[in-house]
Amino acid sequence: MESKIAELKAAAADSIKAAADLKELDNLRVKFLGKKGEVTNLLRGMSQLSAEERPKIGKIVNEARADIENLIAAKNSELKAKALQNKLASEKIDVTLAGRKFQRGHLHPLTLTLNRIKEIFIQMGYSIEEGPEVETDYYNFEALNLPKNHPARDTQDSFYITEEILLRTQTSPVQARTMQKHKDNAPIRMISPGRVYRRDDFDSSHSPAFTQVEGLVIDKGITFGSLIGTLDFFCKQMFGESTKIRLRPSFFPFVEPGVEVDVSCPICHGNGGGCKVCHDSGWLEILGAGEVHPKVLEMSGYDSSKVSGFAWGCGVERIAMIKYGIDDLRYFFENDMRFLNQF
Amino acid sequence: MQVSTGWLKDFLKIDCTTEELAEKFTMSGNPVENIIKAGAGLEKVVTGRVEEITPHENSDHMFVCQMNVGAAELLQIVTGAQNVHEGDIVPVALVGANLPCGKKISKGKLRGVVSNGMLCSRNELNIEGDSSGIYILPKDTPVGVPFAQVAGLNDDILEFELTANRGDCFSVFGLVREAGVLLNQTPKFPEIKVSEDAGQSSKDLIEIKIDAQDLCSRFSARVLTDVKLAPSPEWMQKRLEGAGIRAINNVVDVTNFVMVELGQPLHAYDYEKIAGKVLNARRAVAGEQLHTLDDSNRLAKGGELVIADAEKAAGLAGVMGGFETEITENTKTVVLEAASFNSASIRRTSRAVGLHSEASGRFERGVNEKATVTALDRAAQLLQEMGACKVCEGVVDVYPAPKSEIKIQFTCKQINDRLGTSYTEKEILDVLKSLGFKISEVDAEFDGEEVIDKISYAAKHLGKAAKELAQNSEVDDFIQSIGKTVGELMKRGGAESFTTYEAVVPDWRNDVTLPDDLSEEVARIYGYDKIPATLPKGSQQGGQSKLQNFTDSIKNILSSLGMNEEVSFAFTHPDMFDKLQIPAESELRRAVPIMNPLTDEYPLLRTTLLSSILENAARNFSRKNEDVRLFEVAPIFIPKSLPITEQPFEIQKLVGLIMGRRAPKGWTQDNAEVDFYDMKGIVEELLERLEIFNYTVEAGEHYALHPGKTAIFKKGREILATVGEVHPAVAENLGINKKVFVFESDVETLMKCTAKKFNFENLPKYPAISRDLAILVNLDTAAGEVEKVIKKSAGKFFKEVTLFDVYTGERIDAAKKSLAFNIKFQSNERTLTDEEADAAFKEILAAVEKTFDAKLR
Repeated sequence: MESKIAELKAAAADSIKAAADLKELDNLRVKFLGKKGEVTNLLRGMSQLSAEERPKIGKIVNEARADIENLIAAKNSELKAKALQNKLASEKIDVTLAGRKFQRGHLHPLTLTLNRIKEIFIQMGYSIEEGPEVETDYYNFEALNLPKNHPARDTQDSFYITEEILLRTQTSPVQARTMQKHKDNAPIRMISPGRVYRRDDFDSSHSPAFTQVEGLVIDKGITFGSLIGTLDFFCKQMFGESTKIRLRPSFFPFVEPGVEVDVSCPICHGNGGGCKVCHDSGWLEILGAGEVHPKVLEMSGYDSSKVSGFAWGCGVERIAMIKYGIDDLRYFFENDMRFLNQF
Repeated sequence: MQVSTGWLKDFLKIDCTTEELAEKFTMSGNPVENIIKAGAGLEKVVTGRVEEITPHENSDHMFVCQMNVGAAELLQIVTGAQNVHEGDIVPVALVGANLPCGKKISKGKLRGVVSNGMLCSRNELNIEGDSSGIYILPKDTPVGVPFAQVAGLNDDILEFELTANRGDCFSVFGLVREAGVLLNQTPKFPEIKVSEDAGQSSKDLIEIKIDAQDLCSRFSARVLTDVKLAPSPEWMQKRLEGAGIRAINNVVDVTNFVMVELGQPLHAYDYEKIAGKVLNARRAVAGEQLHTLDDSNRLAKGGELVIADAEKAAGLAGVMGGFETEITENTKTVVLEAASFNSASIRRTSRAVGLHSEASGRFERGVNEKATVTALDRAAQLLQEMGACKVCEGVVDVYPAPKSEIKIQFTCKQINDRLGTSYTEKEILDVLKSLGFKISEVDAEFDGEEVIDKISYAAKHLGKAAKELAQNSEVDDFIQSIGKTVGELMKRGGAESFTTYEAVVPDWRNDVTLPDDLSEEVARIYGYDKIPATLPKGSQQGGQSKLQNFTDSIKNILSSLGMNEEVSFAFTHPDMFDKLQIPAESELRRAVPIMNPLTDEYPLLRTTLLSSILENAARNFSRKNEDVRLFEVAPIFIPKSLPITEQPFEIQKLVGLIMGRRAPKGWTQDNAEVDFYDMKGIVEELLERLEIFNYTVEAGEHYALHPGKTAIFKKGREILATVGEVHPAVAENLGINKKVFVFESDVETLMKCTAKKFNFENLPKYPAISRDLAILVNLDTAAGEVEKVIKKSAGKFFKEVTLFDVYTGERIDAAKKSLAFNIKFQSNERTLTDEEADAAFKEILAAVEKTFDAKLR
């Protein structure tokens, strides 16, 4: 009996070892351990044994059964692992193929630039003010200390609708309108972004329409130093912490003193080497600014002996051209998909 | 304005380089746009003496020279020239020179002998004269100095881009005054003095009148007799050349010279040709003939300022002289005019005539009317010195309302407060004085408030007490004395005092009238880089308006939906209205016209954004960018009346456009093109994300859209959006050979229709039951209408309905289409039974059968 059990065990071990797949293994389980399987048969034959032998043989048979069960379980794991491996091998793909593309959209680079400018000034407590693009001569020029036939009007050749109505040449009329909305010398911190128009041909550096943003601060104790500090902060935020600004005296009738503002070239940092952006000068002119002219304050109802202010203005295209390294103004308005898709 | 450094050096010692000088000018408000360098290309050419000359060992025509070029060691140079001898001083181009003739000098060997440069001919240096051999310089020429210096080529030319306010710097004297301050020197100006010849008197020979006193504030004249026309001396020609003015003859050259020197334009008349011996500054009569010195006959518009003799206008004042009275070689007697004309009038006339001269440019910025006689004297002096004329006695000077001095009262605190600086009184006053302002102290009247300011400022800890004192005081004298005493104390203590000063503005400065202007003078001379940077004190609430935030949202949503933002011009053309098929009677054709458009291309302001976006699509299409997805938020312009009398309405619109592939090209994606439902889906998604719900969509009409593919989104009476396929004829008109889909919307309407509050919905506790409804309806039945009926008839457990299939084709009647809906029922209180769902389904079926004659499939 004992030898029979040993034989059976050996036979089971051999055939389990040789099993090629899970199905075959399952057949072996039925064959050896099933209800009509060979181990069960052996147990059935126990009845013919003596009472002394029975517990002893019973124990051996149970041990054999456990051994076979273990062998099957081990083989089962092995075969399952192998099957998974085969499955994975057969599922291999070319991971170098491009991923599924999304239909992505883009904001215009002028909007992106303006959004950044707005962020910078909103965090300093500025409001965003807007006004009409078709303006009166009064708001566009006269309220800004530019009476009719002022030579400085020459630099802003205008599109007229009537003698008194024109396409605004600057967003400064929004400043005058905002000032007139305030009373009692109330403080103002505002920027006014928007489209402006000048009678210029359309070429790589001129456009009959472009985007401007202007800033105005009015309060007690606003000095030229406040203007410098503000512009320095803005330029550092816009072009990087190492950016410097330089002020050159200039003339704009709505400010006194008036300056033009250069930023250190954020491309070559003044190191030259054939810089296409600053032409190795190390500086880029980006802004006009100054202390608000007392006449401008007075015309819009502020008392220039009690409050003072500063104002500045710049072209958003100019900032975007520097920031993105764009060298042709026309790109902004042609709306070529190959251009728009880059931002 | 351009001037040579040589001219400036007549009055000043300039030790710095021209670049440094230009920088000083630029940084103090008179920008130098460009420098034309003297002797460009001669930087590495020096004078050298031939110390030894020997024949070349390998050549029968070359020589080896040992040159003294001022260095410790002699320089060996090989030359092929035959006119060089020991002891000659010649120009030597050193290694590295890049000569005007184009030759570049490098170290080399000539037939085996080392040569470290080149001896130069005149030609090689671009110097006029005999160029047959090496340029032999005079024996007394210093050795080892730059050749350009020896040749007198040390005058660089500064080209200024002057600002509109600084008329005074449109002259050599003005620039010298500025440079004097910048270089800390007192310029030495020439003495202007004319010795008149006895005999005739100017006022006996010519009468001067000003009829148009508002356009001509002063008219001065001098008469010169025995005029001998000749070329002007070389030095003057050289100065004029440096200023960019061509020399003509002594009389014309002197008028130009004085204009550049003093900034006062002069005009010379041939006395014999002046009818009636009278010159009158008057307005032209409309239609009056003007024969100007360019020999063209002009018709006056009327109102232009002219200088006329007894018979006719002799010239456009300040813009262009007259033909008849021009100086010719026969001229014997000359009337010189120096006048001050109204800048606006000159500007108008010069623009109308299209003529911008050196003179008109100066009048436009304003000349110093105090200095007309000085200019006449200077011109007479110069001509007399040349022996070119006799000077009649006296000046005829009509100056009806002499300009009074401009006086500005200011305190140094005022200036420091404006700038944010702490310059001392001395620093401030020194700058102003150096610029020609006359400064005196003023016994200022104090008011109570000012005194409080002073006391508070002087001793902050005593401020409160001082305030009470000043407020209680009824005695003005007391206040006056406190003001003065405190100011005096502060001044003695070295602090910024409150002394009020008066500055008399020099007569050449017409741009300075206010204390604020004085602050600029201080700032620009000391430099803006000296002003400490601060930030405005205190804080304020900033941010955007609701509409601005809403507009930003629209842009962000659309760009996240694969749309690209465009920016286009607001201009359009009437042809565009035809191309878009805008009906003849439509309001949209009544566009705002531009009086002076840039070209005929864009004479109007747009009334629809479709014109812009379709132009952009067409441009992309013509550039073979056939997959286009664009949107724009921008205003359209609708006149309140035509012709325009007031500003038009500006209405913010939104427009979007798609054409081409649905998905980007790629191996995973097919090449399917977008259709109406892509455009509609984008609009639906936009509305959903803007929280606009419960709208309806119906078929509609639009001038530029396909009549069968136009949908109108409505909420109540408001039109949220119009969506459709661009009419194929419109697309063709624009040159787009492809299907294009667009939508149009109004930003403020959208904002008005957004949900007022967010509707959060709890998650359902009980499962939903769904039923599918597939029905056959007539082809022209709108699915949207069927959905409406389903919703209405679905009972209280209705949750949602989704159309999941639309079929037309062989399997059904050709006049029918099949619509398949999935309808969900749900309760918040319990799980619904199948019977309840079936009952609701029956109701729905009955309703659609009744309304649409639908058949269950």
